[in-house]
Amino acid sequence: MSQIKRLVLDVLKPHEPTMVEVASAIGDIKDVDGVNMSLYEVDQQTENVKITVEGSDINYDVVLRTIENLGAVVHSVDEIIAGKKIVEEEETLHDRG
Amino acid sequence: MAFNIEEGRYIILGSIDGLLATLGIIVGVSITEAQSSIVISAAFGGAIALAMTNGLGSYLAESTVMYGKLAETEKSLLRDLSDTYIESQTRKKIIKDSITHGGASFLGSLVPLAPYILSAGSLVVSIVLSLGSLVVLGIYSGFVSKTSYIVSVIKMVGLGALIIVTIQLLRLSHLTG
Repeated sequence: MSQIKRLVLDVLKPHEPTMVEVASAIGDIKDVDGVNMSLYEVDQQTENVKITVEGSDINYDVVLRTIENLGAVVHSVDEIIAGKKIVEEEETLHDRG
Repeated sequence: MAFNIEEGRYIILGSIDGLLATLGIIVGVSITEAQSSIVISAAFGGAIALAMTNGLGSYLAESTVMYGKLAETEKSLLRDLSDTYIESQTRKKIIKDSITHGGASFLGSLVPLAPYILSAGSLVVSIVLSLGSLVVLGIYSGFVSKTSYIVSVIKMVGLGALIIVTIQLLRLSHLTG
């Protein structure tokens, strides 16, 4: 199975634990080189965040378990890059329109 | 070290409870001009009962409120939060608050009791020590609430004085009645 280099997740989390704690917990996972977390919606009880994880060989199950153990829910996997090198999304004519 | 305001609530609540309730027992028992051993027995029994009811009361009340909040979060997340980090943190907070409340209550109780435990005991020393502790508690309260230390001290000492005066008045009515 090829190695996962980047994961972009749409996550719904409670206010506690904080974004700092969640990002730090994901950053501690083996083979994760970096984490980016951005907040895009705040509700009375919850926060919607986008989490970008980059690494040499990301274990998706471990990332998922870590997020769920912190009380959050992964709504969707919005982007995934796997293989020997990072391949960015190409813009098509459809995107330009 | 980060200061937790929530803990401050239980330190103040528990200390006032322990201090003033035990002082009330001591002042009340002293009406009968009882021996020190009787005062210690009555006040120590009260202190233990108060520490236990405060600790267990906090445990039950905090469990109700905290698990209620957790249930609301579960509803928003559409998932069960059992055995997660958030649930274990909730459990830890409940236990910590209960121990803080019960412990502060017991330590507060020891202040008016100390003169009786350490020597023959004197009601005046007990009252002075208690009022002195209320001054410290008032300063702490002012520090936590970021309000005037003097106002906080006056409130605390005023509360203590009110209880002492009330019990003394009851004592007079008891003697005259």
